[in-house]
Amino acid sequence: MDHADLYLLRETYNQKCMSICFNGPFSQGLIEEIGNALRTYLKSEDANTSASLDVFAVYVEIAQNIRQYSSLRGYNEADASATVVIGRDNDGRHVISAGNIVEVADGESLCERINELAQMDKTQLKAAYKEQLRKPRDESTPDSGAGLGLIDIARKASSPVSCALRPVNAGSRLFFSLQVVI
Amino acid sequence: MNNLNLKSTQSTPSVYALAETGKLEMRGDSYPENSFEFFVPIVAWIEEFLNGRSTPFVLELHLLYLNTSSVKAMMDIFDLLEEAHADKRAVSVQWYYDPDNSRIAELAEEFKEDCTFPFEIIASE
Repeated sequence: MDHADLYLLRETYNQKCMSICFNGPFSQGLIEEIGNALRTYLKSEDANTSASLDVFAVYVEIAQNIRQYSSLRGYNEADASATVVIGRDNDGRHVISAGNIVEVADGESLCERINELAQMDKTQLKAAYKEQLRKPRDESTPDSGAGLGLIDIARKASSPVSCALRPVNAGSRLFFSLQVVI
Repeated sequence: MNNLNLKSTQSTPSVYALAETGKLEMRGDSYPENSFEFFVPIVAWIEEFLNGRSTPFVLELHLLYLNTSSVKAMMDIFDLLEEAHADKRAVSVQWYYDPDNSRIAELAEEFKEDCTFPFEIIASE
């Protein structure tokens, strides 16, 4: 990267109040290390423990979902890469943005589900959460609780979770991105 | 029966269970990659205790954060306790939380809603 690009990157970080930024394939170890850094950072700047814990929780769910998804799909390192940015919006609320590459059909059903959740109020989300919690595990992937994770994220968000899709790899796959405001 | 003694890691709680006292304690965070696998020996220990002994069982929790797959595993444990309670066994949960961390108390409350055995949610000093 040349000097001008680096400066532009810095300006973007500053303008968008981005505090933590990660781009690459996740491992459980990295998820923990970044999570640790995030917790320390949140502790240093924020007295509101509940909001800090929500940011941490949403980050962990997203990171573990992405890691599980790309390993389930057997993606190579480039396609398994996640882009995660944690910052604040103009009102000072925490914003977690995350994106990764997905299969076309998966991306579409994921967005459909997120949009369904976005229509629900807190009571409906709680009911959906409890219903999902009671669903039997998929024997082959007992930890892929993506369904439960999404509802949990929606419950912690202070405004509806938004998502977007854009074609990548010459249209064979999609870049799925999600934005959560705490 | 054996006791359980697992040291905590960054993403797993410490687990300490004594057959003698019938108490299982968990302390720390729970967000391992494979929560299901992590909880297998814990669930097995509780099952063995409930089947093999007739003394009371106490689950003492000092958990700070649980990812959703750990939440699901905890629900399996509470289901076990609910069954034992229906069989007239003395089972109870004491869930301690830091008053600065209301989120974990809210999670405990949601679990409690579905349990009919004694379930205390206690603010730590």
